[in-house]
Amino acid sequence: MKNTEKYLPVIPVLVAYAALLAYGVLIPGKWQIASQLAFYCALGQAFNLFMGMTGYVDFGYVAFLGVGSYGMALPIYHLSDKGLGLWLIVIGIFLAAVFSFILSLAVGAVALRLRGAYFAIATIGVNEGFRFLIEGARIWNGSEGLLFFLHMRTAFGKQTATAISNYWADGMVFAVAIVAAIMTLIYMRNKVGYALTALREDEDAAKVMGINVTKYKITAFITSAVLAGILGATAWSLKYSYVYPSDVFEIHYTVEAIINVLLGGAGTLLGPLVGGIIYGVSKYFLAIILPGFQLLIFAPVIIAIIVLFPEGTVGMLKKKVIGTPLEKYII
Amino acid sequence: MSLLRCENVTKRFGGLVAVDDVTFEIKHGEIMAIVGPNGAGKTTMFNLINGVFPADEGKIWFEDMDVTDFPAYKRAHLGMGRTFQIPRPFSSATVQENIAIGAMFGASGSETSTDMAMEMADHYIDLIGLKEHRDKPAGGLTPIEKKLVEIARALAMKPKLLLMDEAMAGMNPKDIDEMVVFIKHIRDTEGIAIVAMVEHIMRAVAGLAERVIVMHQGALLVDEPTQKALTDPRVIEVYLGKPPEDEHA
Amino acid sequence: MIFEQLSGNLIQGLVLGAVYGMATMGLSLIFGVLKVVNVGHGACIMVGAYTALFMFKQFGLSPLFAVPVAMIIGMTLGLIFYYSAIRRLLKGPELATLLATFSFGVILEETIKQLFTSEVVGYNWDLPKFDIGITVLSLSKILAAVGSILVALLLYLWFNKTRAGMAMRSVVEDDDGARVCGVNVDWEYALSFSLGIGLTVTSGVLLTMFIPVGINPYMGGPYTLKAFVIAVLGGLASPYGAFFGGVVFGLVENGSYTLFAMIPGVEPFAMTRFFSFVMLLVILLIRPTGILKAK
Repeated sequence: MKNTEKYLPVIPVLVAYAALLAYGVLIPGKWQIASQLAFYCALGQAFNLFMGMTGYVDFGYVAFLGVGSYGMALPIYHLSDKGLGLWLIVIGIFLAAVFSFILSLAVGAVALRLRGAYFAIATIGVNEGFRFLIEGARIWNGSEGLLFFLHMRTAFGKQTATAISNYWADGMVFAVAIVAAIMTLIYMRNKVGYALTALREDEDAAKVMGINVTKYKITAFITSAVLAGILGATAWSLKYSYVYPSDVFEIHYTVEAIINVLLGGAGTLLGPLVGGIIYGVSKYFLAIILPGFQLLIFAPVIIAIIVLFPEGTVGMLKKKVIGTPLEKYII
Repeated sequence: MSLLRCENVTKRFGGLVAVDDVTFEIKHGEIMAIVGPNGAGKTTMFNLINGVFPADEGKIWFEDMDVTDFPAYKRAHLGMGRTFQIPRPFSSATVQENIAIGAMFGASGSETSTDMAMEMADHYIDLIGLKEHRDKPAGGLTPIEKKLVEIARALAMKPKLLLMDEAMAGMNPKDIDEMVVFIKHIRDTEGIAIVAMVEHIMRAVAGLAERVIVMHQGALLVDEPTQKALTDPRVIEVYLGKPPEDEHA
Repeated sequence: MIFEQLSGNLIQGLVLGAVYGMATMGLSLIFGVLKVVNVGHGACIMVGAYTALFMFKQFGLSPLFAVPVAMIIGMTLGLIFYYSAIRRLLKGPELATLLATFSFGVILEETIKQLFTSEVVGYNWDLPKFDIGITVLSLSKILAAVGSILVALLLYLWFNKTRAGMAMRSVVEDDDGARVCGVNVDWEYALSFSLGIGLTVTSGVLLTMFIPVGINPYMGGPYTLKAFVIAVLGGLASPYGAFFGGVVFGLVENGSYTLFAMIPGVEPFAMTRFFSFVMLLVILLIRPTGILKAK
């Protein structure tokens, strides 16, 4: 395959995100819903990079968004009067990446030496464990969390602070989604991707083929975690100007990540995008029709997908387009 | 210099001694068969050689390097290839991708780009004659096709030693003869040593191997040139039981 | 003074540990037989807690009566879930059963939330308390521990003395072998899953006898975490290992609580929970096959 041809599937991804962005920008009053959808897509894209490509489930995934949101909150909270201006955001994103990198390296180094079920067990307490460490040892203000609405105003000025919360933060969520999708495609087209496919299908056979499975699992795990950390920094900290440990380590974000990936198709490039939009739109309407019932409806949907359509929407579509010109674009 | 040397290798599972103090050598470019009834410890021996699990005792040398504590992937990098008794291709990947994965991560993997690996895969697809299945997922092939894909995948790793686990189980005599020709062809063109594990298809052993190792209850019973091994009374005993007169003795 | 406090807490821990142990047996049974990890474990415990609460508040029945009811509810839920989902996923990738049991837990939580709201509730079963010098033990706590030991004993007898129990054990050892010997493996799977969920829901009743407050639809999360610590302590696939793991965990948890309480500026309750997460990672790091296992 020629290089240009290899990366053709990026076109539908970019077109879709551009369309979503245009929908939010051009139609008055739709920015919030468009950015909410982008959040689900970004969450799915980042999660898919690990779960979809390795077949491992990380039940503590939200912890990476959580530490990422602290990464952004801390510099704004403590350094708002230092005249750093927008550099604070750069520092925040950097710290978010560093925090999630360290946490994922620590968890991954232990858990990724273990196989499937044991891995899932090891991750099940990561989000709660971290939340209770922050609350128990009273780190970073403990259970009171960090509230930095006024610090944002001090640091950036009233107008800029409002613009950051209402537009920039959402714009950065789009950026995370697109970067995550591009990273996925790059992985898929390089040795990492083939190694991950092999170990997802048969880990022992992969080892015998010369694949250092732990190395590749950790690579995917850390990439996925760092993207989640940056997502937490922008979608939560910058947007809402507060971080509470009880909110940012809430397991239902992990549930949402799983739903987005499964609806679209685990291990596909377009899947999390399609899944995120299906989930976001149906959640939006369910909130109107049956408020409070969203999870009760989506949990059986997860089971139904696993039992009846394990390939997800894009997985099925992929099979349909084999032998047609679309084949090159949909993966 | 021998290619592989196993010295006093032992492996226990709980109280069961699966491989019991086994010592043997394999030379470069040799075709050897490991023979023995079900439960003799052949598969365990394979797993010890290529590092699926570590040996409890003894040493394993590969080209005079002590690989006893090497994980499976490192042994693959040194040049050990392997096929499984029940073929285990990566089902969702295409035939071409399966074989390319072997090329990408095998002995010459560090110098092989993904594009080069795909080209190499095409070469091996021609060799096993599965051109029309190139872009199909390997999960959908017939068992014999899967077996061929697995062999091609192992060959693409550019091994110096290829371990074939029951390569001919479940085949009819005509297929076995073709497989024997094919394996010999591989050895002659690629210059690799081949260890084939065979449960009891003596037809294949006689036509294929230059040397035979017979295992029985975890221990090495016989290590002889093929003709001699196949007529050895101890081997006949393992397969057919003791002759009646011995029972009275 | 500190020693007295510590030993008092350790006695509490021992009693609670018996309940913890029983609360983990269902998890280990399901893993042992089906090789399925029930990620919705804590939610099943929560259902048991609500069973006790509801029967107590609605009909004034003592939680002891809730034990058989919880067993029936749990076994029914287990059977339904086995036949609607788990059975079709056993041959698939591990991911499938993990996600399915996880979703099963979410369904239980959300259903209970719709039925009882997410308000934190409790009940007050007024039984005599015994002051044994270094600590006070209420009769309900003792009953919870005795009940747990009894259930564990019954399970042991059932496994070792009855035909059905032995058939199930044969599946744990080697399911193909059991199949050849005429054991209906599919039915054993269904029964084990159902029994496992039944035991877990029942343990929820016993747990409320120990801690009758803090009942809410999302109370299961910490119990899932604790159960996994206990299960890996005992070797994950062994119900008895789990029972003893529970006792050890009860002691460690109460002991560490006492120690954390002595460090100034630290929330002992939250730190204890963090500590159980660290324990899980450490055990998995040292010996994923279980520390208490004989072999």
